[in-house]
Amino acid sequence: MSPSLPAPEPASTPVHLVGVVKRYGRRTVLDRVTCEVQPGITGLVGPNGAGKSTLVRTILGLVRLAAGNARVFGIDPAREPRRVRRMVGVVPEDECTVPGLSGVELVRYAAQLSGLPGTESLRRAHEVLDWCDAGQERYRSVETLSVGIRQKVAFAAAIVHDPPLLILDEPTNGLDPLERQAMLGRLRTLARDHGKTVLISTHVLPDVEAVCDRVIVLAAGRVRLEGSLADLMRSREPLLVLEAMGPLEGCAAILTGAGIAAHCTGPTTLVVQADREGVVDAVWQATREAGVAVRSLEPARRRFEEVFLAAIGEDSHAVA
Amino acid sequence: MPLHEVGYRAWRGGLRPPWTASAVIAASGVRLAWKSSWLRRALLLAWSPTLFFAASFFAFEQAVEEGRLTSLTERAVAGRNLDGVGILGTVLSRTLGTPVRETRHADEAARIVETRRLVWTRLLLAFMRAPQAVLLAIVIGLVAPALISGDLRAKAWLVYFTRPVGRAEYILGKTAILAAIVAVITVLPALALWIAGVMVSPSLAVAIQTWDLPARIAAASLAVAVPTVCLALAFSSLTAESRIASFAWFATWAACWIAHAALATADVAASTERPAAVAEERTVAVEPPRGLRWLARAAGLDGTVDRWAWVSPYHAIGVVQAWIFGIESRPRVVVPPAAALAIVSLASCAALAWRVAVPLRA
Repeated sequence: MSPSLPAPEPASTPVHLVGVVKRYGRRTVLDRVTCEVQPGITGLVGPNGAGKSTLVRTILGLVRLAAGNARVFGIDPAREPRRVRRMVGVVPEDECTVPGLSGVELVRYAAQLSGLPGTESLRRAHEVLDWCDAGQERYRSVETLSVGIRQKVAFAAAIVHDPPLLILDEPTNGLDPLERQAMLGRLRTLARDHGKTVLISTHVLPDVEAVCDRVIVLAAGRVRLEGSLADLMRSREPLLVLEAMGPLEGCAAILTGAGIAAHCTGPTTLVVQADREGVVDAVWQATREAGVAVRSLEPARRRFEEVFLAAIGEDSHAVA
Repeated sequence: MPLHEVGYRAWRGGLRPPWTASAVIAASGVRLAWKSSWLRRALLLAWSPTLFFAASFFAFEQAVEEGRLTSLTERAVAGRNLDGVGILGTVLSRTLGTPVRETRHADEAARIVETRRLVWTRLLLAFMRAPQAVLLAIVIGLVAPALISGDLRAKAWLVYFTRPVGRAEYILGKTAILAAIVAVITVLPALALWIAGVMVSPSLAVAIQTWDLPARIAAASLAVAVPTVCLALAFSSLTAESRIASFAWFATWAACWIAHAALATADVAASTERPAAVAEERTVAVEPPRGLRWLARAAGLDGTVDRWAWVSPYHAIGVVQAWIFGIESRPRVVVPPAAALAIVSLASCAALAWRVAVPLRA
């Protein structure tokens, strides 16, 4: 009787690292890294050499740590790497393939290596390749595939054994804008409809903004920022952004007259200082008086790029 | 969109235990190797000597059946080659013509049993040493170099080690690919020869009389498989360029062969100055025709002590195989080659284990 996939304990955090230190020779690649990857989609971002790949290897139990410990669904990957790797699907950044295999053979091979039985592995390989929209290209040798199709095949190989945790290194590399949207859509589907935990290691910050619920910013081997993306992108100043269907100069004048700082940043956009009580009511009152139709009124958000640059620019270890 | 696209579905089936990964790697590797037409041709070629050796089994058993064993032996003792069985007549004649075999048995049946064992053993050893060992070196040289170097070049190690596959399963899987090829070239044809011998013999009881030969065939194949597979995989793991691994493999065999030939020739030259000592080493009465000495040596009929066998993998393996078949038992002959092969195997395994882990450490 073959053992079935170990079901992750509902209470256990998908990935939990505490004080992880990894050195290569004298170089410290991970320096007291403490972070969590929670259910949903988490972005792991950082400049080159930040230690992202080593962090992924730590999760897979591929490296020996100098200090600290890691848990994946409550399991120590250093002690039980095979058990952990059964629950993880990985799309590496580097193009990796088994020479001589076609796309579907590679996915089937990945399925078999993960423990799926022979015949079922082929059926399952076709099923996930269909879902990834790999088309007839799947029958071509992997070495001859375009970068985009190869990326789809690698993604299919990562999810073929239905792992509860997915780790993707630059998943949208080489994809055209349409394919990029489709790939991000698949990640959303996996996370929201199928309860997968997804960790995306990427340099493409718009991808992080588009799909991630949480983010970990790593620089020089240290966690510089960790938290919910919505929280991190919230402006540090109490500002409101008003979007309307028409010009807002009149509205701005009314608010200024009431002692509330407000300035137009575009023909239909107004930024209002919300540093005291009653500002929201005052804005609604002003729009009524100015006769403008409101499209949206929400707290001002920073672009993620600003958040990221600010984080990696900081020397101190700041956890949001 | 495919007609039957069902979206993403969870996998509800069971999973096989991680140790089966080796079998998956081996099966996939054999399938990939089999795509090479060169390998298919080489394997076909590797089976062709079986026909010649089967003819010798037939010739010997026919002589037994027709009661010509005594006359055959007398002709062999007189130094005459045996007609009708091609070059393998040398093996038969020299086996039968060895002075120690002149002992007359009171029981004719016992004499036949003993002679059959001798002849079959020599033929099987000659088969495994002369054509098969050379073909094995060639076929492994075609397949092995790309097994790990190809994975290093294509970064396929990420495919393996991000899944529940450990170093041990990976190495075992790759080893099994070569082991399967070794089995096809050595074990299976040799077993086919033994079965053919039993089938052409007068009685199926011969299978019981020679019951140990299949086990010796398996052991002799293991003796050739372990060092060659370990060495070939070690070479493959040392580089990402399979051409370099291939060159290293063939260069090792050729260089060691040449070194052995040079040292053995020097020994022969030195021995001409002390013929008495050489005569002491020799146990064979009949000198084979000049062109067939290699075959006599392969069959273990050359009684001289090859003290340089350990220098060359081919010769070292031959000595160990001769020991397994019970033809060579002198410790000073067997121990150095066996030790050399053990050292090569262990060093290769260590290099292999170290090299396979290198990408993980980077």
